[in-house]
Formats: sequence, C-alpha cells, structure tokens
Amino acid sequence: MSAGLQNLKHIVVLMMENRSFDHMLGSLKAVDPRIDGITDDMDNPDNAGAAVKPQLLAEFQGQLDPDPNHHFPAVDVQIFNGDTSASRQPNMKGFVKSYYDQRRDTGHSQKIMYCFKQSDLPVLTTLALEFAVFNRWFSSIPGPTICNRAFAHYGTSFGRVDMNPFDISEPFKSIYTRLIEATPKRTAKVYYYDTTSSTMEVVNLLQNQPELFGTYKQFLSDCDNGLLPDYSFVEPNYKDHETDEGEEVASDQHPDHDVQAGEFLIAEVYMHIKRNPTMWPSTALLVLHDEHGGIFDHVSPPNCPPDRFAAPPNSTGTGLEFKFDRLGVRVPAVLVSPWIPKNTIVDRVFDHASIPATVTRFFQLGDLPRSPRELNADVFIEPNVAPVDAQRNLLSLDVMRTDCPEFGV
Amino acid sequence: MAIIPVPRPSKKSMNPDRPVNCLLRAQVEHLQHAERRLPLRYRSSIYTHAIRTEGEAAEYVREVTEAIHRAHADAAERRVKRPRRAKGRSKPRAESRKGGRGK
Repeated sequence: MSAGLQNLKHIVVLMMENRSFDHMLGSLKAVDPRIDGITDDMDNPDNAGAAVKPQLLAEFQGQLDPDPNHHFPAVDVQIFNGDTSASRQPNMKGFVKSYYDQRRDTGHSQKIMYCFKQSDLPVLTTLALEFAVFNRWFSSIPGPTICNRAFAHYGTSFGRVDMNPFDISEPFKSIYTRLIEATPKRTAKVYYYDTTSSTMEVVNLLQNQPELFGTYKQFLSDCDNGLLPDYSFVEPNYKDHETDEGEEVASDQHPDHDVQAGEFLIAEVYMHIKRNPTMWPSTALLVLHDEHGGIFDHVSPPNCPPDRFAAPPNSTGTGLEFKFDRLGVRVPAVLVSPWIPKNTIVDRVFDHASIPATVTRFFQLGDLPRSPRELNADVFIEPNVAPVDAQRNLLSLDVMRTDCPEFGV
Repeated sequence: MAIIPVPRPSKKSMNPDRPVNCLLRAQVEHLQHAERRLPLRYRSSIYTHAIRTEGEAAEYVREVTEAIHRAHADAAERRVKRPRRAKGRSKPRAESRKGGRGK
C-alpha cells in the first residue's frame, strides 16, 4: 500500500482563471524537455500572412486588453483556424486570427502568442518543477468559464457551452452533495474569496446550498487549525474591490487582472497547508486554470467520448451541434503533495471532470449516477484500495519529502 | 531550502473603475437570476443594467450574496422558533372530534 495514499485525508482544488499551459508554463520546456511547452518551430499566421512565434514577452497586466475572446465560436476559430469543413482537423493556428478580429490591429494581435518567462512566475513554475505537472490537462469544453467550471463541480455542464445560468438535471449531483450525503458522511466546502468576490456557481450551489460556502479567510484559518474538510474548492478573488481592511486586488489571473496577485494567492494557499505539520502530510493540492482564455497553446485538444447532452447549433454559435466529444484547450495544472517525487511529469489526459471523478473514487462514495464524461475521465489520485497501481499512483514515495520549497508570503 | 520571494502585485494594478469583463457580467446576471427568487425585503436597489465597472459589480455582488445568506439564515431561524407539533397530538384531536359528534 502507498504511504502517501494512506496518509491522504484532504483534497484541495484551487481553480484560477483564463490562462493557457504554454502561456504560463511553456517556458519550462527549456528547463526540462519532458515538459510539453513551447519550441521555436511553433507559429500562428497573422492577418498579413506572417508567421508569429510564441515569445517570452508576456506582462503581468496591460497586455491582453481587450480580454481575448474565449466563447465557443472564437475557440473554434483558435483550434481550427476557421476551417468548418466536415473533414477538418485541429491545428491550433487560429489564435492570432481570432485576437485580430477583436481590434483589427496586427501588432496587438501577435501578443496572444506571448508567454511568461520562468522567472516571472516563481510560484507556479517552482511547484510545477518540484511536484507533478500535467502535460495533458485540458479544459472540459472549448468555451468559456461557467460551463468549464460546471465540469469541476458536476462532471458535466448539462449541455451548456456558454455563460448562461443552467439548471442541474437529475440524477447527476454536485461533488459536494455527493460527499455530504455519503455514508459515512463526508465534508466539503467551497471557499470563495469574500462576499464581494463571491462564487461563479451562483444559480445552483449558492442559491440552494449557501451552507456549503466559506470565505478565503476561513480557508486559511481552517488550514492553520487543521479543520479543512475532506474536499475543498477554492475560488480566487474575481474583482478589484475595497473592503473595510483596505484594497483587494483581483487574484484570479483573468486578463487583464494582475498575474502576480494570483502568484501570491497560490503561494499563500500552499504555505498555509505546508506550515501545519498535520495538514501537510495529509493534503493534496491541485492548482489549475479553468480555461485558456483565448491565449495560445500548441497542443490540439483530443476527441473524447460524448456526454449525455448535446448543445444545438444555435447555442454553439458555429452552426454545428456539439456533442461534448472534444476537450477544450490545454491549461496549467500542478498537483502538490510531499509524497510526490520531485519533477514528476504526467502525460495521461485529464480534464475538469477528473476532479469529481477523483474525489468520488478516492473517498469511495459508491456507485453514484455520473455523467458519461465523468465516467470516462481519468483520476489524478488513485483510490486507497488494494491493489494500488504503482504506475499510476503519483503519491508514490515511501517516505515523505523534507526538501519541499518555501515561499516568502 | 532557501525561501523563494514572492513579489506582491504593484499598487497600480488596483483599478475598480476597470470595465467589467464578460465573466463578471455573467456573475451579475446569475446573481440577478437568484435575486428574483428572494422575498422582496432581501432585494437590492441597484440597477444592474447600469453596472459598468468592477467596483459597481462588486457592490451588487456583495449585496446579493449577503442577502442570499441572510434569507437562508432567517428561514433557518424561523424553522427553529416555530413550535413543533408534539408527537401523537393529532390522534387525540381526532378522537375528541369523534367524541363531539357522538354526543
């Protein structure tokens, strides 16, 4: 049996906003060639036909304005470069074209190819190199935030590919409801930053089960006091706002919010878990982004088995029905635990449906009705049931690491 | 291992006057959807169609999020305060009515 899995009691997911894998972690290819980041042979054509290469010129703020389009039709252009034929294949060549459509400025449209230097992102890149980085974690849908986040909560978006409110349809329940209704009863919490930032799952969770929610302050306190629930989902601060205690800068990393504020948030979450000697060995932290936000990535999203739902042509905006049989664009994803060998690279395919799939299996919630997409999603933490597959188990060390990084927050 | 410094964001990055992005616009719409189901006394007086900036969205989001929590908390309090019918109480009542008819 794995010591890491035996010790594991808490799973924490921190989901950021709207940045692609290559944009955030692509530079790490130069550090470790096993990381599937950027190389010099990648490019996108601009509107004049010139080849635009990814460059390490990304800035924390002020560069991606207007917010790059990441609604379903625009992402379709980014992936297929405008090809709508029946035989089309994804080529990831339409990012510059899509961004050009927004401002009609050739120079500005090239910025969608910009990526961060490793030194710009000391927190995310350190965690990626120190723990497990996923080469193939895709957003669940080639579309925007709300429907992608729905996959993290429910394992499906119930047929939605847009930002509109959706109703959950039975028999699929949120991962939180599954946990609190389980026998033996489990615990779960969604921690939003504060009531001003609130949550992106208003219509079903906040409206009907407000008791599931806590604040980020409470999350930090729960870490410090060893009171984390079995499963925690942490939402960043989605907006700049004033509080009685001062200014709160948005930390979600959504363009055009300051990426450094998100780095600080990730470091703070990590350090509060790490500083508590009872939480650190018993907690796995997954840090990931919900979708790519219209920003360049070079890996074509793969096909996947369809969901039970389909989005009609008038919903997708492409004139084509979508059966949820293709994943969205790749996003940064890093799994942190002192039981993970340093510099682990994971090449298996994941998407956000992997989150409820993993939590359901790890906590042995039973044979519950789950969406076809969730049933087909891979798990990033193996269930703690013999025999554990040693090839798949990422928390594989027999002895806990004592060389894990520390951040000054 | 040496402690890795993490720079705090620049003070200049704070801008509550930034126009709302499509995510915050959607969040406002979702909260408005939820607000319509709240009893009138919990509703906000903010006109959501006039929201243009992050600061304005922040105010509305806070008001409605807190109102949802308050509405649920008030309902829970009423549930606790409401006198619970004692077990078996309905049976004697029925018997008494029966008895009344018989007389």
